[in-house]
Amino acid sequence: MYNSPVLYDQSETIKEELTFNDKRRKHLIIYDQKAVSDIKQVLAKDSQEELEYEHFEIEKSVNLQDLRTLLYSQKIGTHLYIASDWDHAVTVFTEAVEAGFTEDEIQTIIYGPKRRYIYCMKCYNTSEINYDDEVQCTHCDAHMEVGPFFSKVRKGYIGYPFIPN
Amino acid sequence: MFKSTNLDMFTFPFTNFKNKTYRYSNDLVALGEDNVNFMKITPEYKVQIKHKREKLDKQPDVRYQSFPHTMEMQWEFVELLIDLAVDKYPEHFSIEKNGDQWTFSNHILEETETFIFGDESSISLEPYDMIGRHFHHDFMLMVNRDDNFYLEVAQESFAALFSPNWNLGMSFNEIHGPVPFVSRDGVELADRIRKFLLTIEPGAPRTRVNWNLMADRWDVNYETMDIWGPERHKVTKENAGKLVHLRVEEQWFIRMPRSNAILFVLDTQFLPLEDLVKRPEWLEITHFNLADIPDYMAEYKGMAPFLPQSVEYLKNLIDTIKVK
Repeated sequence: MYNSPVLYDQSETIKEELTFNDKRRKHLIIYDQKAVSDIKQVLAKDSQEELEYEHFEIEKSVNLQDLRTLLYSQKIGTHLYIASDWDHAVTVFTEAVEAGFTEDEIQTIIYGPKRRYIYCMKCYNTSEINYDDEVQCTHCDAHMEVGPFFSKVRKGYIGYPFIPN
Repeated sequence: MFKSTNLDMFTFPFTNFKNKTYRYSNDLVALGEDNVNFMKITPEYKVQIKHKREKLDKQPDVRYQSFPHTMEMQWEFVELLIDLAVDKYPEHFSIEKNGDQWTFSNHILEETETFIFGDESSISLEPYDMIGRHFHHDFMLMVNRDDNFYLEVAQESFAALFSPNWNLGMSFNEIHGPVPFVSRDGVELADRIRKFLLTIEPGAPRTRVNWNLMADRWDVNYETMDIWGPERHKVTKENAGKLVHLRVEEQWFIRMPRSNAILFVLDTQFLPLEDLVKRPEWLEITHFNLADIPDYMAEYKGMAPFLPQSVEYLKNLIDTIKVK
């Protein structure tokens, strides 16, 4: 979809640690090697007999075919938990939205740094940024102040151009 | 560039603020039956259209954006604009329909547009872009979904901190994220207006008037902030009369009957401060209101760097008239 949710560093789906949503019938947990031990611990401690759990472990890279088969086979009432590094989380999140999951049905736990992007209002390209207030576009070199607003269509924060003194 | 020369057609923004000062509020009002049609041909029509088309031709990605799935709504927009234009100005616009074969004539510009209604392959531009170029307004089409409005088509040439390219696909609340105002009961102004827009029905559009001051500039979009930002500082109390313009946006909110989208129409008009002298009452009310703008509003409107100079210019102008 043209304005479907996207995963970005302020996404409301991002949580500090995995917490099961007890209003859902089924929990689908997709995790990579960075999250393995945490996930196994949580499952051992918090899983309840009457609820259904399904896991999908990402080993080295995501097998898209398997991931899609898994996501498309889910029924209403499934809550998705993504526990991985940023790049794996973006892949899984994007595929999940494509398969029909809404932000309310996804919880994301990121291991390691989150990626941020800025949308240059001079050349309409995105560049990866850190948490500085001012940056330079990697495409056209324009100086930009990083704005607080994010576009799901452009997949970046607004970059207000300025001429440095 | 242009300014309003027929002041009877200029929408003076402070008409209702003679004895009280302007503040932000949900100030949308219903329109009388004789004022539902937003079409307005002023003496500046040709200059405005020339300016608009130049912007669209030189900066197509900046000035026009749409999603591919909007074609049906775009044709609805074409029909609406033609109907309104022909209805109000039959001497300037006409339409000939032969089945789906339509010929729209703009007699002011001596142009015709021939197309098969509903078939975008029959024209070189998108339907919305094609018909919008005959009228000086800015047009934003917002689709109603999940109790919100999403910007799906926009044609704009007189922006005030708005960008079709940036705002495409955003909800009403996302577009108005920069609006900082909160009502007395703590509800964000933008959210109150969103709820109000949900109540608008076909055939009963709403209107409001927005205003700003511009320093030697006709559009202030995000793309050119690096240029117009510093230029605001060149205004002095001596040159404010020529450089600073009262910028008025007359806005219409129209419910499209077939798509249920809201069409947001802007008629942007400009009057240099020095021309306020032609209507002494306007001059006094404008001075009264500008002198009382709180800092937070001046910052939000982008006029903080030249507001004091503008107020002083107006005060001096009023004193000069009184001496005479």
